[in-house]
Amino acid sequence: MTTTFVDLDVRPLLAAGDEPFGKIMETVASLGPDVGLRLVAPFKPIPLLQVLASRGFDYEAREIGDGDWEVLFRPSGEHGPVGSAEEVSSERWPEPVRHLDNRDLEPPEPMVRILAEVEQMAPGEVMSALLGREPVFLFPELEKRGHRWKGGFDSGGTTYRLLVWINAKERVG
Amino acid sequence: MIGASLSRWTVSYFAAALLALLLALALMAVGYGFPHVPVESPQTLVVVHLAVLGWLSLLMCGALFQFVPVLIARPLYSDAAPLSALVCLVSGLVALLLGFLALEGRIAATPSFLAAASLLLVMGFGLVLGNLLVTLLKGRPLPIPARFVVVGLASLALTAALGVTFALVRGGIADEEHLVELASAGIPIHAITGLGGWLGFCAMGVSYKLLAMFMLAPELDRRGSRAALYLGTCALLIGMPGAVVAVWFGGSRDLVLLAAGAPGLGAMAFYGRDILHVYRARKRRTIELNARMATLAFVSLAAAVLLAVIATLLSEMQRYSAPIAFLFAFGWLSGLGLAKLYKIVAFLTWLECYGPVLGKMPTPRVQDLVVEPRAGKWFLLYFIAVWLGAAALVFGYPGAFQAAAAAMLVATLGIVGELVRVRYLADVPKAGMPSGVRRPPMLWSAAQ
Repeated sequence: MTTTFVDLDVRPLLAAGDEPFGKIMETVASLGPDVGLRLVAPFKPIPLLQVLASRGFDYEAREIGDGDWEVLFRPSGEHGPVGSAEEVSSERWPEPVRHLDNRDLEPPEPMVRILAEVEQMAPGEVMSALLGREPVFLFPELEKRGHRWKGGFDSGGTTYRLLVWINAKERVG
Repeated sequence: MIGASLSRWTVSYFAAALLALLLALALMAVGYGFPHVPVESPQTLVVVHLAVLGWLSLLMCGALFQFVPVLIARPLYSDAAPLSALVCLVSGLVALLLGFLALEGRIAATPSFLAAASLLLVMGFGLVLGNLLVTLLKGRPLPIPARFVVVGLASLALTAALGVTFALVRGGIADEEHLVELASAGIPIHAITGLGGWLGFCAMGVSYKLLAMFMLAPELDRRGSRAALYLGTCALLIGMPGAVVAVWFGGSRDLVLLAAGAPGLGAMAFYGRDILHVYRARKRRTIELNARMATLAFVSLAAAVLLAVIATLLSEMQRYSAPIAFLFAFGWLSGLGLAKLYKIVAFLTWLECYGPVLGKMPTPRVQDLVVEPRAGKWFLLYFIAVWLGAAALVFGYPGAFQAAAAAMLVATLGIVGELVRVRYLADVPKAGMPSGVRRPPMLWSAAQ
């Protein structure tokens, strides 16, 4: 399968002191089927590799000199995320406005923090969270409270990335 | 739906199981059954089945109804079936114990007790197996802990089949030659398939997951874990049906069981290495009481395996089989079970009580439901008593064994008291009961 690529060079953003994660995820969200991302960065973006793997991308990274890296992300069709019952895969989710890293917390602390955060957020907002394990007891609680979620493990199976869309259940159906 | 919710009847299984354990220990403490009478006597059968069927099997069934969904992130197939299963299993156990008492001549001999026990236990375990296997089928490909559980469940079916055979023969209902042969020579096979296969494999699977989860260690799915699974399965296949075939066709049952011991020992070695790895690779440096006490259970398992090796080398298995089984059942399985109960009951109670209001109001942590230093001394007493009891069996001091069993009884009563306090939220500061939070029922889970 031939993949076409959208180019994104985050070096200028980083040089200007900006955080490129939002821009990268925005670009990824806008990719059509069978379209990949060619990312150029001043370092090997290891956390991003895991995040995009959990969204179903394979990657190929190579150093292109001066410490800069080029990473090709291709849609793999595997590791597809799962989500709440209402999940419509083609629908575009808004960009997350809050990010939590709960990977080093013992259960059930990740669930506690996510629900605490969720209660602070406005309807329609999206939160992203990284976890060390699939939060199996959290999913029914999110659905009971009217939120939608989707999530999946990265290709290494060590980081679980979860997105929660606040009060989005009524948007469906 | 993806995810897991509270298993409604798991706490009921735990309560019934603990009651059976207390009864078994009380009988041992007053000198009922082995070592005052032979291993195969009806008295010993009463104590053994209270401990293994009443305590360990009900504990494991209750735990699996909650943890199989966690292992595969899918809900249990039927949330109602566990209650019918529990009614069948408890009444089947009572009928079985009455059947043993009838064999002993304590009550009027009637074949109907053992027949009723067979029927009720087959129905009960059938409901448990069906529910768990259908749930597991939906979670394929199965992670490694769930594969241990599958082998454990298959062993449960074989153990139950052998048990029913014995009950029908000894109850005078079946007299087919092969079945009679099996009833006289099959007891070690029944014991090994039940303790090692059903309870051992499930405990291995659950411990892989629980220890890694609560100590923040990497999930194990490496070559050693798979080797433990395959070698253990191989040992079980040699033991059952291998040893049964040997009984029927004039082979040496003991030689076949010895042959099963070699891969079984390998499985234990790989499992031990994995557990050490989980403790060493954990991210959480300070570990909770349940994980600390689990180490004493693993020490007991190592002692049981070592004693088995020594007994084999000395050709003294007959003499040492009781202390080996005692260390395996009361040191490892029961010790691990009690340690994990201390965490699981607190976690389930916390989730039932505070899950719906998390984030909406301040809530206590899971650890606020327990008082570890107070519970710790009961656990230490329990394990020391188990080890003294095993030593008393090895060196042949029945009086010392009774004293050890009494100490185990006191320790278990202490642990049960702690669990009841957890369930009552007795140690949570009063501010921990904000409006909208209800105290959970003692014997089941109300939240769904």
